[in-house]
Amino acid sequence: MSTSWLPCGTYHQNYAEDQSLWQTKFIKGKMILLFAILFIGIPLWADNYWMSILNTIGYTILGALGVQLLIGFCGQVTLGHAAFIAVGAYTSTLLILEVPWPQALMDFGIAYPVSIVIAAITAGVVSVIFGLPSARVKGFYLILTTMAAQFIIVDFIITQYVSQIGGRGQAFSIPPEAIKVGPFTIDSDTKVYFMMLIIVILSVTIVVNLLRSRVGRAWVAIRDNDISADVMGINVIKYKLLAFFVAGFIGGLAGAFWISNLAAISPEHFPWFWSLWLVGVILIGGVGSIHGTIFGSIFMVVVMELLQLGVMPLADIYPKLLMDFLFIKEAAFGLAICAFMIFEPNGLAYRWWQLKNYFNLWPFSY
Amino acid sequence: MELFLMTITTGVMVGGIYALVALGWVLIYKCSGVLNLAMGELTLIGAYVSLTFYQMGVPFLLALLLSLIIGFILGILTERIFLDRLIGQPVLTVIMVTVGLSFFFKGIVQLIWGTDTRVFDPPVFPLKPIIIGPLIVGQVYLWSFIAAIILLCVFVCFFKYTRWGLAMQATADDEMAALSLGVSARFVYAAAWAIAFMAAGVGGTLLGNINGLNISVGYLGLLVLPAVVLGGLNSVPGAILGGIIIGILQNLSGAYLDRYFPGGVKEVAPFVFMAIFLLFKPHGIWGWERIERV
Repeated sequence: MSTSWLPCGTYHQNYAEDQSLWQTKFIKGKMILLFAILFIGIPLWADNYWMSILNTIGYTILGALGVQLLIGFCGQVTLGHAAFIAVGAYTSTLLILEVPWPQALMDFGIAYPVSIVIAAITAGVVSVIFGLPSARVKGFYLILTTMAAQFIIVDFIITQYVSQIGGRGQAFSIPPEAIKVGPFTIDSDTKVYFMMLIIVILSVTIVVNLLRSRVGRAWVAIRDNDISADVMGINVIKYKLLAFFVAGFIGGLAGAFWISNLAAISPEHFPWFWSLWLVGVILIGGVGSIHGTIFGSIFMVVVMELLQLGVMPLADIYPKLLMDFLFIKEAAFGLAICAFMIFEPNGLAYRWWQLKNYFNLWPFSY
Repeated sequence: MELFLMTITTGVMVGGIYALVALGWVLIYKCSGVLNLAMGELTLIGAYVSLTFYQMGVPFLLALLLSLIIGFILGILTERIFLDRLIGQPVLTVIMVTVGLSFFFKGIVQLIWGTDTRVFDPPVFPLKPIIIGPLIVGQVYLWSFIAAIILLCVFVCFFKYTRWGLAMQATADDEMAALSLGVSARFVYAAAWAIAFMAAGVGGTLLGNINGLNISVGYLGLLVLPAVVLGGLNSVPGAILGGIIIGILQNLSGAYLDRYFPGGVKEVAPFVFMAIFLLFKPHGIWGWERIERV
């Protein structure tokens, strides 16, 4: 599914061309146009409402990227990814709030970036700890241990213990002036947007390049058949744990980034629902495809937003709907997953692939 | 010592209810190979349906029976609409469909019945506790346990002695052989879902009698997962034993560990125990150990 055909008359003459990410002039132009739109067009055009939607999409992409890596490329099904996002968010928040940073570091805006890196690494390590059972168990049993991660980390450790640190009560409020990257204080949706863009592009680049390397090929081999991978000389446990680390790392990145968008964080921001949501996103987008992660995130966020737009006007007539919207959203999400699994198990990325090939091979599609 | 005995007794009795729900889970898995993550929501639906009937003035047993019938219909509908098309699909697909179903059911339940805690009013079981020797047992627990045991026996007899039950056993054992003997596999799948809905509904009703009914009963339904993992995924006696073990463990950790780790130890302990148990015995107590070949 990942191979797409090149347009007629395009030939590779060396390996560098064969392996390059952007293979034709058209793709290069397309990508440059995309970057121009993302960095210049959207900030000029979008208002705060659109910015906040885009930020949510970015956050979903970051979260789903780790899930995609584990499920789509390494075959390790995880249903507890929100726990690692929570670890990242809480580590970063606590580092900012509790560590007595020298004033100079705060002023130059080093504290927050440093906390993001530490948070990502912490989340990665926690993820590895909960990935350890993957050395012994797989399939459904692994699903249950990752579920256990969600309940242990979020519902127990964070709710009962981490929230007690500093005696702030259940929710940690984050002073906006503390979230500072370099000379910029991240206090508006536009600034969050730029930060989101940079982090998303960075992590997508990292993951895409990892997947093209020895590590990525090992992951795919494990996904396809772990016993054959073992026989081929791949250290299965090492690569599985590495996958857990990278996925946790990106999850931690997502969590640490997301606190810049929140006024306060509490365990309710990372429910089990969110873990399942992320899995739903990659299933709808397409398992085993980076495009799928992005399409799925955009699709889910936009559809839920449209649903809200569609339902909210009715709230004047049925005031109860305002309260019930959350439940409608849940039911719609459930139905969407079922429908996609039954009618389009390959996800949106498959359609995109078909479309691309149609135009690449046009007019002789055989 | 008395605390210990009391906790064990309560644990066994709650565990009986878990065993009932776990039986439904194992049944689906054995017959159709579907790993069902929507079990918690199945308990919720059954519990709310019987509560609604009970509030309408229907006697409790009749309400339970009506909820069984509705559970039967819903089970067959669910299987026919969603699961039937997924036969032969990868495991993750099927699991995610059950996750989707769980969201769908949960959303619908909250939409219809709201999120407030509801109680069976007037109480179904007398509030006065029964004193057996040194033990004080709430009547709710006792009757729930008895009901769960009776139903477990009914289900086990159903599998051993009726034509349908034997057909289901045959399909679970070897689908190909069963098909060639004229057993309709599709019928068996539908029956498995119907029975799971019914078992979960009774379990949910009993759990709702203990603490009142709200969305967290669905979480209790989720506890069947550690139970079936402990017992081994494809073993009916394992599910019953696992359910009782989880009940005991949950209550023991609530009674003893809560002092050291205040907060929700009781909710998390089964999952912690399960994660550790899996490290040492990945196939549960009586699960099949499959030898994998490339």
